Amino acid sequence: MTCMSTFCVFLHLFLLTSEASSSTQPPLAPITPLKTDVRSIKIELVNPVNLTLECTWTGNQNKLPNITSYWTKDGEEIQNSQLSVQFHNGQYNIKQVQHFVSIVSRSFPSVPQIGEVRDKPIISYMGDSAVLTCKMDDKKPKPNTWNWYRHNGTEKEQINVTVEPHRYEIKNKEEKTETRLVVNNLTEADSGLYSCGAVYAIGTTMSHVELKVIAFMEPLKPFIVIMVEVVVLVAAILLYEKSQSKKKVTTGS
Amino acid sequence: MTKVKSNSESRSEDVEGPDGGWGWVLLAALFVSTSLVFGLMRSLGVFFVEFVQYFEESSQAVSWISSTGLAAQQFFSPLGAALCNAYNARLVVMTGGFLAGLGLILASQATCLAHLYLTMGVISGLGWGLVFTPMVATVMANFTRRRTLALGLAFSSIGLSSFAFNPLFQLLVEMYTWRGALLILGGLSFNIVACGALIRPKKRSEAPAKVDPDSRSSCVAQLQRVSSYLELSLLCERPYVTYTLAISLLNAGYFVPYFHLVAHSRQAGFSEYQAAFVMSAAGATDILGRVVSGWFADLRHFRLIHLLSFWTALAGVFIMLLPVSSLSGSYVALVAISLLYGFCSGALTSLAFAVVPLIVGVERMMGALGLLQLIESGAGLLGTPLSGLLKDITGNYMASFMVVGSFPILGTLTMATLPHFFSCTDPPPPQRRSLDDKDKGLNSELEQMNSLPSDTSSRSAE
Repeated sequence: MTCMSTFCVFLHLFLLTSEASSSTQPPLAPITPLKTDVRSIKIELVNPVNLTLECTWTGNQNKLPNITSYWTKDGEEIQNSQLSVQFHNGQYNIKQVQHFVSIVSRSFPSVPQIGEVRDKPIISYMGDSAVLTCKMDDKKPKPNTWNWYRHNGTEKEQINVTVEPHRYEIKNKEEKTETRLVVNNLTEADSGLYSCGAVYAIGTTMSHVELKVIAFMEPLKPFIVIMVEVVVLVAAILLYEKSQSKKKVTTGS
Repeated sequence: MTKVKSNSESRSEDVEGPDGGWGWVLLAALFVSTSLVFGLMRSLGVFFVEFVQYFEESSQAVSWISSTGLAAQQFFSPLGAALCNAYNARLVVMTGGFLAGLGLILASQATCLAHLYLTMGVISGLGWGLVFTPMVATVMANFTRRRTLALGLAFSSIGLSSFAFNPLFQLLVEMYTWRGALLILGGLSFNIVACGALIRPKKRSEAPAKVDPDSRSSCVAQLQRVSSYLELSLLCERPYVTYTLAISLLNAGYFVPYFHLVAHSRQAGFSEYQAAFVMSAAGATDILGRVVSGWFADLRHFRLIHLLSFWTALAGVFIMLLPVSSLSGSYVALVAISLLYGFCSGALTSLAFAVVPLIVGVERMMGALGLLQLIESGAGLLGTPLSGLLKDITGNYMASFMVVGSFPILGTLTMATLPHFFSCTDPPPPQRRSLDDKDKGLNSELEQMNSLPSDTSSRSAE
């Protein structure tokens, strides 16, 4: 098993040693993990890879024990990973590895998250068109394609552009780092949660965007209130002034 | 002469409340309208983020909107002043408020960036220009002893409102998108109309006297009248030209640090929050400086022009000290200098307008302010790009702050060339030249209006 690319891979290894001599001593309990260098490294995978993990033993060269090693995943021994090693003279290193395997197996934390998604809902007016954008960080790998989903209650259905071409448009940038969903002719029913998914060979990562559709009356309401207030103020000021000047005229003459 | 003067002295209290009464109501109106003009202009940054995203333009293209708006406001200031002289201030301010609101409402329907330049830039800018100078001149005409304090209180609204408007606009944009928010802002701007309605119309009686009755060609008469409304004759008077030059030099430099302070703090190695705090601190002392300097100036311990020179020179010195203070890496020094700079820059804004009637007289103040705004705007456009250029060339802000700080100091030196600068009392402001003998009543009224701002000692010295 060899390391993948330049990352150093470390193994959590239980070592069972058995002495060559036929001693009546029972096999020693697993030695507490050798803590030389404990690191856990996150690797981002885009495509499935064949991964090899390496474990090498440095020990007392004079002793040359018969060592059986095995691999564990999440604390459980992997079948058929037991290997008896006959050591030759040489230099071996044993290092500690933790949780390497879990990076690959869990639901794609290694697949890049979609960055630059707004936390706040995107608001649009009825009859207008809304643009929902999902961007992937430039430094992260580029997805093969993008999918858009619409949440209906707990279900998620993919938006098919061909079904309603005048309502939905999906525009992807050439470099595939950005996707836009254009929803035309908005209605109230279009409000809700939308998801964009970046599709990789290894899987899809999703991000959510909320769309809110409001009627044009919404901002008109405070506007009309303010206009009424202005008109009332101006009328009041002018009337007050008229009454003041009338008083002056009556007292003056 | 003295006989007329003594009569006028006894009548001084009868001149329409030069210090309070309706003046305070007008001050409140100025407070509101200034915040809706400049406070609004300063808080448009929230919209620019939205515009960049919606129209997919560069932020530089979008920032031209506010540049256009500010330029239009300053360019149309003489027009506003002239219209006030020709008609009355109330009508002009109400029209200006209507235009400002209309521009923003139309902007809410914009479909491209050019629409925004036209609506938010030109139309609203025109409206703002018709509002600001007339309102300032009206308030100044209604105060004499407490003129500077009134101005300081009114201009403090700019800082206060930009504190309040930033989160408010952010909220409006989040609730209604930028279109709805602009619509509501337009409605808010209509409140300027209500502010304008508070102005009591006042007759400008000597305007017809300016026109030469013998001229035959109506074209020449029109031109003469227009030039009298615009107060173009001021451009031939040395004190006014000197003062305008000084204020232009001042304007080229004194607010540039507000643009570059954050970037400079970041470059000096401070965090984003520290840099932002420096800005806020400077903004807070700016507000304080306006009010305190206005109050102090009205105590009449010193002449206004001396105080203005003092604050201007100090502001220039502190601007030059800004990069020096951060050289040592001390955050405390940077904050301290920024606080002092903010205070001085606020202090001088209260005084800059208040000095004008001392130079040209209260009657010509309207046109004088309009022209001043127009001329100083040109210098203002120079300052920021120049400092940016210097920074690009030298790589840090040392040179740009030094050069920019020298402008207010040059302005102070220019102010020192004003006639009677080194005397301890204010000189009497010049009289109108076109008065003839039959307008003696007018003459005396003018004299008493012109002599009111002077110290009592100068009156008795005559």
